[in-house]
Amino acid sequence: MPRLFHRRMNVIARASLLAIPILAATAGGVAWHVQTTSYVTSQDITMEQPVPFSHKHHVGELGIDCRYCHTSVTDSSFAGLPPTKTCMTCHSQIWTNAAMLQPVRDSWRTGVPLQWQRVHNLPEYVYFDHSIHVAKGVGCATCHGQVDEMPLMFQAKSLEMSWCLECHRHPEEYLRPREEVFNLHYQSPPDQLKVGRELAERYHVRSAQALTDCYTCHR
Amino acid sequence: MNLSEVRSRLSNQRGQALWRSMEELCDTPEFRKSLEREFPGGVDGWINSGDQSRRRFLQLMGASLMLAGAGTMSGCSDKPRDEKIVPYVDAPEMLVAGKPMFFATAMPMGGFGRGVLVCSQEGRPIKIEGNPDHPASLGGTDSFMQASILGLYDPDRSQAVTRGGEISTWAAFWETVRPRLESKRQTGGEGVRLLLEPTTSPTVLAQLDELQRQFPRLRRHHWDPIGRENTTAGMVAAYGKSFAAQYDLSAARVVVSLDSDFLFDESASLRYSRQFMDGRRVRRDRQEMNRLYVAEGTLTITGSTADHRLAIRPSEIAILARALAAACGVSGVNTEMPAGREKWINAAAADLAANRGACLVMVGESQPAEVHALGHAINHLLGNLGHTVHFTEPVLGQSDSLDVLVDEMRSGKIDTLLIFGTNPAYTSPADIPFAAELLRMSKMRSADGTFANLTAHLGLYDDETAYLCQWHLHQSHYLESWGDIRAFDGTASILQPLIAPLYGGKSASEVLEVLLGRPERSAYEVLRGYWVSQWKNADFERQWSTALKSGVIAGTALPLQDLGSPKVVASASEKSAGEWEVVFRPDYSVWDGCFSNNPWLQELPRPFTKLTWDNAAMISPATAEKLNVVDGDVVRLMLNKRSINAPVLVTPGVPDGVISVSLGYGRLRAGHIGTVHGDQTIGVGFDAYAIRTAGERWFAGGVQVIKTKRTHRLVMTRSHHAMGTFTNKESLKPDAIATEQTPEWARETANRKLVRVATLEQFKANTNIIKELGGESEKKPLLSLYPGPEHGGWDYSKGYQWGMSIDLTSCIGCNACVVACQAENNIPVVGKEEISRQREMHWIRIDDYFGGSLDDPKIYHQPVPCMHCENAPCEYVCPVGATTHSVEGLNQMTYNRCVGTRYCSNNCPYKVRRFNFLAYADAETTEQRKLQRNPDVTVRTNGVMEKCSYCIQRIQRTRIEAEKMLVENSGAQQAEFNLIERLQTACQQACPTRAIEFGSIIPVGGEKTRVAKLKDEPLDYGLLRELSTRPRTTYLARLTNPNPSIEPAKGGAA
Amino acid sequence: MTATAESPVTISSGQDMTQVIPVLMPGATYASVTDQIGGIVQRPLTWLWIMAFGITFVVVMVLTGAIAYLLLRGVGIWGIDIPVAWGFAITNFVWWIGIGHAGTFISAMLLLMRQNWRTSINRFAEAMTLFAVACAGMFPLMHLGRIKFFYWLAPYPNTMALWPQFRSALVWDVFAVSTYGLVSLIFWYVGLIPDLATMRDRSRNRFTWTIYGMMAMGWRGDSRHWLRYQTAYLLLAGLAAPLVVSVHSIVGMDFSEAQLPGWHSTIFPPYFVAGAIFSGFAMVLTLAIPMRSLFGFKNLITIRHIDNCCKLMLVTELLVAYGYAAEVYTGWYSGSVYESYMTMNRFIGPYAPAYWSLIFCNIVAPQILWSRRVRQNVIIVFILSLVINVGMWLERFMIIITSLQRDFLPSSWGMYYPTFWDWATFIGTLGLFFCMFFLFARLLPAISIAEVRELVHETAGGSVPPSKMEPANVI
Repeated sequence: MPRLFHRRMNVIARASLLAIPILAATAGGVAWHVQTTSYVTSQDITMEQPVPFSHKHHVGELGIDCRYCHTSVTDSSFAGLPPTKTCMTCHSQIWTNAAMLQPVRDSWRTGVPLQWQRVHNLPEYVYFDHSIHVAKGVGCATCHGQVDEMPLMFQAKSLEMSWCLECHRHPEEYLRPREEVFNLHYQSPPDQLKVGRELAERYHVRSAQALTDCYTCHR
Repeated sequence: MNLSEVRSRLSNQRGQALWRSMEELCDTPEFRKSLEREFPGGVDGWINSGDQSRRRFLQLMGASLMLAGAGTMSGCSDKPRDEKIVPYVDAPEMLVAGKPMFFATAMPMGGFGRGVLVCSQEGRPIKIEGNPDHPASLGGTDSFMQASILGLYDPDRSQAVTRGGEISTWAAFWETVRPRLESKRQTGGEGVRLLLEPTTSPTVLAQLDELQRQFPRLRRHHWDPIGRENTTAGMVAAYGKSFAAQYDLSAARVVVSLDSDFLFDESASLRYSRQFMDGRRVRRDRQEMNRLYVAEGTLTITGSTADHRLAIRPSEIAILARALAAACGVSGVNTEMPAGREKWINAAAADLAANRGACLVMVGESQPAEVHALGHAINHLLGNLGHTVHFTEPVLGQSDSLDVLVDEMRSGKIDTLLIFGTNPAYTSPADIPFAAELLRMSKMRSADGTFANLTAHLGLYDDETAYLCQWHLHQSHYLESWGDIRAFDGTASILQPLIAPLYGGKSASEVLEVLLGRPERSAYEVLRGYWVSQWKNADFERQWSTALKSGVIAGTALPLQDLGSPKVVASASEKSAGEWEVVFRPDYSVWDGCFSNNPWLQELPRPFTKLTWDNAAMISPATAEKLNVVDGDVVRLMLNKRSINAPVLVTPGVPDGVISVSLGYGRLRAGHIGTVHGDQTIGVGFDAYAIRTAGERWFAGGVQVIKTKRTHRLVMTRSHHAMGTFTNKESLKPDAIATEQTPEWARETANRKLVRVATLEQFKANTNIIKELGGESEKKPLLSLYPGPEHGGWDYSKGYQWGMSIDLTSCIGCNACVVACQAENNIPVVGKEEISRQREMHWIRIDDYFGGSLDDPKIYHQPVPCMHCENAPCEYVCPVGATTHSVEGLNQMTYNRCVGTRYCSNNCPYKVRRFNFLAYADAETTEQRKLQRNPDVTVRTNGVMEKCSYCIQRIQRTRIEAEKMLVENSGAQQAEFNLIERLQTACQQACPTRAIEFGSIIPVGGEKTRVAKLKDEPLDYGLLRELSTRPRTTYLARLTNPNPSIEPAKGGAA
Repeated sequence: MTATAESPVTISSGQDMTQVIPVLMPGATYASVTDQIGGIVQRPLTWLWIMAFGITFVVVMVLTGAIAYLLLRGVGIWGIDIPVAWGFAITNFVWWIGIGHAGTFISAMLLLMRQNWRTSINRFAEAMTLFAVACAGMFPLMHLGRIKFFYWLAPYPNTMALWPQFRSALVWDVFAVSTYGLVSLIFWYVGLIPDLATMRDRSRNRFTWTIYGMMAMGWRGDSRHWLRYQTAYLLLAGLAAPLVVSVHSIVGMDFSEAQLPGWHSTIFPPYFVAGAIFSGFAMVLTLAIPMRSLFGFKNLITIRHIDNCCKLMLVTELLVAYGYAAEVYTGWYSGSVYESYMTMNRFIGPYAPAYWSLIFCNIVAPQILWSRRVRQNVIIVFILSLVINVGMWLERFMIIITSLQRDFLPSSWGMYYPTFWDWATFIGTLGLFFCMFFLFARLLPAISIAEVRELVHETAGGSVPPSKMEPANVI
């Protein structure tokens, strides 16, 4: 009876036995990694904006406070986006004919609002409230990063659910005194855990169990 | 999908359906021919061009829309890439993006206003709530007020001025009407007629008077199919002059209703409901309740709350009234005691006599003037005037009636007819050929071939009347126009717009302004103009802004009159009613038909029958046996040569020999939702106006009932025989109602104890009776395998613990809560076909249980939202943990985690969970309607489970406010308590009788909350308590207060 | 093949039948067995087979269509509603899984119990198991509202930092069924290896030669191979045996963990397992009886096999009967209005016909198996097996629908009316099952050649009376 397969086939057969689990494992690993890439989370991606507004310049260099533009951050779920009027308060005096500000002036003249590209974008079934986070001592930079060093705005954190839960499960690791919330250069103290616990106590931050209730963010 | 089907079907059926209507309205072929030539049905062209209107819409909505993120299928959508975020150019003063704002206005209905607070999110009005400061609302709403928000966004509302079906402009109309009126100045407006819906608007009435001054010969007529002619006539008969009666039920210990559905169809029904139920609340510290006797010719929600209900033919009520009057000592009435009613009459009379000055006899509009007069006589005799009964000058503007107008139309005296709002071509009595005359007027041409007459119709919809007029002018919705209106007692309110007119309509006052020959002015200017003239020497701006803020204009209530003794009218002799009587009533969902294009209301399960998307001829079981018909069999009702076909629906509680039909269905030009087109899988009922005559507007004897071969598919949200506990043919009847008659053993092994009922006497004798009705499960503590707080289980002793208490005695089954919930929580409409598959989506439903005997049933309403069980059966069976428990005792449903195994629903003993079997949220609504959606609530996608969340969005908002407050100042316990107590769920806020209370069941800031107190009441019990689900929603048992001389208290006192 | 073997009349009553009818008819040699079984695969296609396959294939296409429409529109295309949120899908799932049980029971349990009569039926019984599990496995997926997220039921690391909810039996179902499917597959394949080698050696063209060759994994049949093969096979049997119990116990818990009257019952796991084996053997007979006559296996699958299967069915049937009785008893004894109502509702409610016909199919009809004459009449047994298949499907339907249909609040009572798509999906899986089975019968030896050869050896060609036989697979 002639030989059906060449000897080498034995090697291949044995190798394949080994290869199958390895391949499976790799596939899983890749799948896991892809979820966390910026392709999915759009982290660190700088968006094209109608006006190249620089937080670096306005916040970092001019030192304008967050609340000057994001007026409702302390008392509404929505931090608020400055109406064209706010831009014009200064830019009707300075850079009055800078080409880059043309869209702003057009908007002011025609009454057609500017259309900014949304940077921090949560799924619609997530209900985030700025005011309560600010009230309980979560700093802007904790979630938005060093905005004062961003020429163009980008999403500094992954904004994945697991990322949210890090803080909702262990708030004490991230809390800061309320007066420091808008301070972009605040350094958390070496004994953050101890301080954090005190702050959580003082600000009536609810238990991790309560903070991780589904209804806290989903409705 | 039904609604989309409807749309497609209608787009090609509309024309055909229409000719049908014309045949019915004026059945001569000539009309039809001429009509075809004149009006080339060009209507369809633009009414269906949805996207055009949609684009205009988005422009109107401007920036705000994009922020709201409403209308997207949030349930499934993941992070949307490339989303624009659009700020204002110049932000409005008080607007804080992301925060809802409330504006006070009033909803006009039947000419009267009821105060509302409208919730607006980023410029979109999304929710209606009652205005506690308004006398006709007291904070409550009914289903119509709740649903009117959807009416605002109705894509079928007419969106342009049309002439003969072709799009035209306001300017064009002005050019037509102005010269015409000018030419009439000499003749003083000869031949000019206005036909209006009843109105109380001071501004409009002032304008009308002005118009009258300019054109002395001009005549005003009014038409309202649900108008109160009998009531007025009764007033005139008794006091020789028309007055408006208003009742104070809070002062009444005994109420006798003669065919009056005062909890539903009065302009002050919300107020009456509140006052009446406040008088029925029995608590540990208040063990007394008023008593209600009802004699009615059909089954109403008022009757269902009665302690003694007498279901008799409407024609017999006059006899009953006379006997009652006589028994009360009214002189000059012939006293023939109707056989078999002695007990009821004597008991009622005795009760009334025993409560002089604290009792009340109310007579329904449906009864003739004589009965009203008798009612006045009794009230006067018993000294109720000034206590429970008050009179004022009439609030409604006075004008001539419709039949006069039609006579003049026929005699050709009229060449200019302007119709405001009302829709007589559809609603006019069958014996008044309004439609035919109107059509004739519209078509008549003078020698030179131009139109001889001018007919125009101002209305929200391009409806039947609009179709027969030359001109249709699109009116602005009450939520998008300035105006004013009076309540039942004369209290005036300012109507302020929540949004710019979506389709650029105009209000009546704006049109009148032009008719007055003045330059075109906005309603705002006209309105302010009027009130400036009213408040001469006052600080106008201050008064104006307070009026806007509070929603009422202080001190505008009409002064009370005190009247002398009423005349007693000599009894008219009854003509025999024949074998069958038919009763006409406004529908609990579409009223007179003006709400028939509102999907929420069409899908709302009607009280008692739970019927949706149709009306039916309700008959008693005995009648059904006699006629040998079953549910859905179509019968032909013939009344003096006119006839309609109606599917019957067997409903215990309807008097024998009575066929009860509701008005407002069988519309031929209502819009995509409400237009009937002979398809059983969608169909919206039959037109009862077709046999309703001016003489017999509410009931008519001598109707012939012929069983036909046909059947119609009626769709109810429950198999309604299953709800009965009476001994009927249905084998395997469940015993759902526990009373003292329920034997001990049965309380455990044979009775479900869903509704626990006791009489006041029994309760007084033994305050523990409600618990005892619960059987074993109430006697011993319920064991649970779940760990308690001591073993790391839930600790319910800290923070806020949410709970609800529903008072079954106060619930009148009016459905307001159901619609409120639908509006608040973006609950989709699924259509008749899906309802027939038992896939309704309402988060809160009202279960109506029938008890007692088939022929004289007792009816119990039980609202059922999610129970938020502490041991929730739904939670542990979900494989992905999409439904979980919160530390505050909420049973959380996380839509975006749900994969749709539906096990939670299978394991829910209360079956309160609702599943998106298909893509309801998108398939079943239009772009415009999506703008009503609440941005704080996720829109659920296909294949996802949903259920009542106790309005978590409201809870979260309040709690966040409270927490922010406490961070600022930890000592603000009192403020915190007030804040939490102000928190209301949508159903609770809507309830006119305060039957639903919600809040924290443990003390807040060291103080005990309302709901906590209610849960300590002896009447409190949990549904299916023996399952140990520990529901957070509990009920206060139904108490009745029967007269011992009719129902001897059994055992109780012993 | 001999008429005597076929006709039970030759057996004088009182005589132990097993003494007379062996598990292997006399006259069998290694060669004859190999030719007989292997030959089936190599003989040219018959019209009968092509037709049968064609029909089932069309039905499979129907299934494909039904699934496509399901994915398009959602589960709303089925008749399910609130309260009856589970309908045909879960009924079919439980039914198919049940059928799958006989295979493993025969191959694993009987192997461990050294019942050598299993040898000639275990191969296709295992195949049947695989196909049944394949059909069953589809339903839990299909019935999801959002099928695209099925993987959320599996514990895997994710960016939501969430796990499945392990209190829910549905999660364990995923594990149970997939494990069962996997083990059955391996078990079946290992059993196939020697025969695949045989087919390789018998194959006449290069193509089949290569295919069978690769699948045979270089089996040469030397004693070392045989020794390891036997060991592996026995180990796998040991591994598979507990699954027979575990899988349907878990499926039983899918229901019994609820507090719904009719589901909330501790008897479910054993009662489900018994029912599963019951229906499994019914299906084995449904397949075996036509096959032995079509493929001429009467000498390999003898009356004795059928007789044994019948006896097993009788036993499990009695267990199931006990289950029904227990449910009724609980309904009365519980003293709970809901339990008693549920029972009454089954007796005289809207779905009473389903209940009574299942009582007939599963309890009354099988009683005829007490008679040996019936047990040995293939026609009657075949018909009975069909009846039982129907009965067991009805049982699942009854458990799911009548319990959901009328539970606690009369206000939420309802009915369940299957739609066209319900039927299409159900019948579609039937088609898939038989389609796969026909393919199997043509492509692989439907009876284990190797094991029958052993049998030939042990029984010396079937001449030695079985009572004197040495048990097989001694290591």
